[in-house]
Amino acid sequence: MNSYWIRRFAGALAVLLLIITANFFLFRVMPGDAVSTIVDPRFSPEAKEKMRHLFGLDLPLHQQFFIYVRRMLSFDFGISFLSQRPVWDEIKSRIPNTLALLGTSLLLSSAIGTWLGVKAARKRGGFLEKAVIFSGSISFSFPSFFVQLVLLLLLAYTFPVFPLRGTVSIPMPSGTLPRVIDYIHHLILPAGSLVLLGFGSWAIYVRNLMVKTLGEDFILLARARGLSEDRIIWNHAFRSTLPPILTIFLLALPGIVSGAVITETVFSLHGVGKFLLDSILGHDYPSAGAAFYILGLLTIASNLAADAACTLADPRIRVGKRAER
Amino acid sequence: MPRWSFAAFFIIVAAAIAGPSLLQTDPFESVARPFAPPVWTGGEEGPALAVSLSPSKTLFEKKWNWSPPENISIRGTLSFEEDPSASLVWTGPGGERFVLAVSGDTREWLIDIDARDVSFKASLGVPPFGNATSVLFRNHENIRVEIEGTTPSAGKIEIRTPGGKWGLMGTDQRGRDVLSLFTEGIRISLIVGLAATLISSALGLLVGLSSGYLGGKIDSFIMRGVDVLLSIPVLPILMVIVGIWGKGLWQLILILGLFSWMGTARTVRSLALTLRESCYVENLRSIGASPWYILWRHLVPEALPVLLAAVTLGVPGAILAEAGLSFLGLSDPRIISWGRMLHEAHGFGAFTAGAWWLILPPGIGISVICLVFLDMGRALEEIADPRLVKGNRK
Repeated sequence: MNSYWIRRFAGALAVLLLIITANFFLFRVMPGDAVSTIVDPRFSPEAKEKMRHLFGLDLPLHQQFFIYVRRMLSFDFGISFLSQRPVWDEIKSRIPNTLALLGTSLLLSSAIGTWLGVKAARKRGGFLEKAVIFSGSISFSFPSFFVQLVLLLLLAYTFPVFPLRGTVSIPMPSGTLPRVIDYIHHLILPAGSLVLLGFGSWAIYVRNLMVKTLGEDFILLARARGLSEDRIIWNHAFRSTLPPILTIFLLALPGIVSGAVITETVFSLHGVGKFLLDSILGHDYPSAGAAFYILGLLTIASNLAADAACTLADPRIRVGKRAER
Repeated sequence: MPRWSFAAFFIIVAAAIAGPSLLQTDPFESVARPFAPPVWTGGEEGPALAVSLSPSKTLFEKKWNWSPPENISIRGTLSFEEDPSASLVWTGPGGERFVLAVSGDTREWLIDIDARDVSFKASLGVPPFGNATSVLFRNHENIRVEIEGTTPSAGKIEIRTPGGKWGLMGTDQRGRDVLSLFTEGIRISLIVGLAATLISSALGLLVGLSSGYLGGKIDSFIMRGVDVLLSIPVLPILMVIVGIWGKGLWQLILILGLFSWMGTARTVRSLALTLRESCYVENLRSIGASPWYILWRHLVPEALPVLLAAVTLGVPGAILAEAGLSFLGLSDPRIISWGRMLHEAHGFGAFTAGAWWLILPPGIGISVICLVFLDMGRALEEIADPRLVKGNRK
């Protein structure tokens, strides 16, 4: 455990605390008292006071806050206003779907983007390089939901190749294998659209980094040593661009989570993002707060994971002597 | 160096300002049946018919190349100088004559016919559950309406059929004209994009300059905060705040502005860091200039070109964020924006109606406006930092 990791964990903790605090105060600054929305105005003042006591609203604010933090950390989010079930039960079933969507789209778009970026950097001025730059600028300006709506219109409505909505067919097919196939069939369009939107910017970053690296002296040396082109590209040039690529990945993560919220809405997936939207639209505050918290937690966790990958890729961090840049 | 995006930007602004007044249709008014396709598409259904008969024009004739419309309404008043004996005659397919209305004894003749009226159907010999227009219209045959008998002296009769097709871009689920909704959306996108970016740039300038110029503990504290804010997904925060605080346009702009200043702050800070160490700032300090004076009179003008480029490059982000929130249904339903149009297309059955004209225009609009701002931003960046142009040439 070196100082780098202590710093990272402290940072993650700070983000977590910020999210919890924001959650705590956001839902308390809204107009009206939590009690006044659920009790009849004709209740006697004593009954209202009792209600406030029941919800712990008569405690001092800092005490309320500590209780809130404790419950957030133990995933006790209370009861959903809409479904009258514990919020955690509602969210628990949705997390795997969100993870599957985020995981597949991230993995595929980074793999395709990296491969294309490296290819484009190898052949400067070629068709592929122009295509990569074009697709990157397109992905910056096209709203994700528009592309997804068009895909939905084309591939699910006009030519019904993929299902229109949902994570699984209703009724679910029997047997494990048909279920897995059904799940993947439902996932192709959402994840595929995210890949389509994501790989362009990824390829541009990788291409820019690779072009820079390929112009450096150690590549010239590798060429002079008579190494094969593939080895120079992958073992020497690409290897040294890994840390900045991972840093970009870190910076892109929050945006990707935001994109997942919209994607889940477009395709009506049974995920956390859709749950957040439904709770907000239905004024289901415990659920909305919990969904927001879980999305934040997901971001923090993947941030730490990317940091770990960074450590592996960058020997300067591994050895604990990170050059101050 | 003229760039296409500057011209495009002026066209967009002009369309946003002049568009709504050039278009005659009110974007909130229903003009045709729901999900009517654009007129230039093929298909059996006819366009909307809106003609009037008056003393100067007592005859209307047209070749009807489409299937019968859903309904026809004829209403209006004609006045005469003498006691009239006039009738409104419809010559339908095959030369069949229908007398739609006959004037009374008074000099004011009020006509109010709706083809859904059962007694009107009966007068044409159509069963109560049939459609009167199927008798009056037939594909590829002429229709002809004429006021016969006494010539009226004043007044007007309006003949209208709801169109199965409408305008350049069709109609939405409420029968509203998509073209005027689209032009209305330009305005909202521009307002939100520019206003939110102005707020965020002002904030970014303030934070970045003070952080970079003051340095030390304040700087590292502010930059920690920026890092933390940058690692939280923004859209969920915006969703929660909009859900709690309200969906108004200005609230949206304020929220977007408050959550997108971090990038600008970083750029400005790095600029301020280099400027702080430069000789002329040191000279200013040595002659006793106050930090506020140096910031305001020297660093801000120095940072402006960079800031201008950052503002322009930030607009697409704000436009996309607004569109995303509106698409999720978190916007004021009384305000028409492109994101809102896509939300309604997604939520109100544009898919089952196959209404691509509800999805393509707003989506392409958002993309084009973002591309324009991106290109303008790049051009401004090159003006602010000419080294970029040389880099391109290499």
